[in-house]
Amino acid sequence: MNMHPRALEHATSTLDHVIPNESELTAGARIVPGRSYGFFTDTTVCIGCKACEVACKEWNNLPADNLGLTGQSFDNTGALSANTWRHVAFVEKSGSHGLRDGLDQKFQSGWLMMSDVCKHCHNAPCLEACPTGALFKTEFDTVVVQQDICNGCGYCVPACPFGVVDVSTVDGKAHKCTLCYDRLKGGLEPACAKSCPTDSIQFGELSDLQVRAAERVEHLHGIGVESAYLYGTPDAPGATGGLGHLNAFFLLTDRPEVYNLPAAPTRPANRVAPSLATGLATVAALALASAFLFAPSPEDRRGGRR
Amino acid sequence: MTYVKEGVVTIVQESRFQLTDDNGIAHLFLLDRNAGAEPAQLAPLQARQARVRVTYEQARNLIGLVARSVSLLPPAAR
Repeated sequence: MNMHPRALEHATSTLDHVIPNESELTAGARIVPGRSYGFFTDTTVCIGCKACEVACKEWNNLPADNLGLTGQSFDNTGALSANTWRHVAFVEKSGSHGLRDGLDQKFQSGWLMMSDVCKHCHNAPCLEACPTGALFKTEFDTVVVQQDICNGCGYCVPACPFGVVDVSTVDGKAHKCTLCYDRLKGGLEPACAKSCPTDSIQFGELSDLQVRAAERVEHLHGIGVESAYLYGTPDAPGATGGLGHLNAFFLLTDRPEVYNLPAAPTRPANRVAPSLATGLATVAALALASAFLFAPSPEDRRGGRR
Repeated sequence: MTYVKEGVVTIVQESRFQLTDDNGIAHLFLLDRNAGAEPAQLAPLQARQARVRVTYEQARNLIGLVARSVSLLPPAAR
């Protein structure tokens, strides 16, 4: 096991202080304001343990929601919401379609698991829709809601092409993953990535993660998993419709829709100009039609109305 | 149905806070939209480990409590 040399400086298990730049030890990335950070979620190694969900709830003091059974296999969370910022999707399908293809017993099904999260889009539609400026880009290139500025209008909710942002029915404000903004400011790796036992969720500088992800795809192709591809990296599926790229991107082995991700997400802002033009054209056409229909006839103009 | 709980604010995240009561049991509260307080007012309470009285209701479909009002207890009651 590779251990960071700085780890030797902290030999005791009980510490009386926070380790400076701890993320360097846990994620191999020093957190510096002004650089882009994100998540690379490799779904091929996700085991569906939900440690990320628990760590997120624990750190962010989020209550458990959707009480009761969902009836959706092992998924008791259901979806991302104002109180659930990480959601592990369990997709059951016939055949594993992977390395073990052909080795499964007849009765066995294949599982796809993916820890979904806010994508922290480069051109974030939620941020563009926010009328109060409550949603903003942090110094780490992540997207965060400022609670004291949010007025709960909910414009960000339909603007998000991934269905991530949600307005809480309790406090009436929009909530979503902050990519552990408070932890990043303290030099700590986000809670979900730190808790992931298989490193399915990897945190780091975006450029490093994108290189690492491309190498992982190449490796998977080399060992026979031809279906592996990236979702959310520049010019890849997921980074469409003017979104630029996603700071939280994924390695998938099936169509995006299988994981409940849109195949070609777009910025709603792209539709503003055509909508405006259509509206103006409609107004002009109605004005023209009414002028034609209600204009006085030639007889009226000659003799006046009787 | 409203209830009252007293304790020390030990964790604050946005509009959510943890209140640790005199028995050492932690309770998760969510600040109600009509609570007459802003999330920004919670952090100073945590910083000074303030003792507060919270009037609350049970939350629907959540394992958490909805804080209807938060009042700072006078020094004599601490």
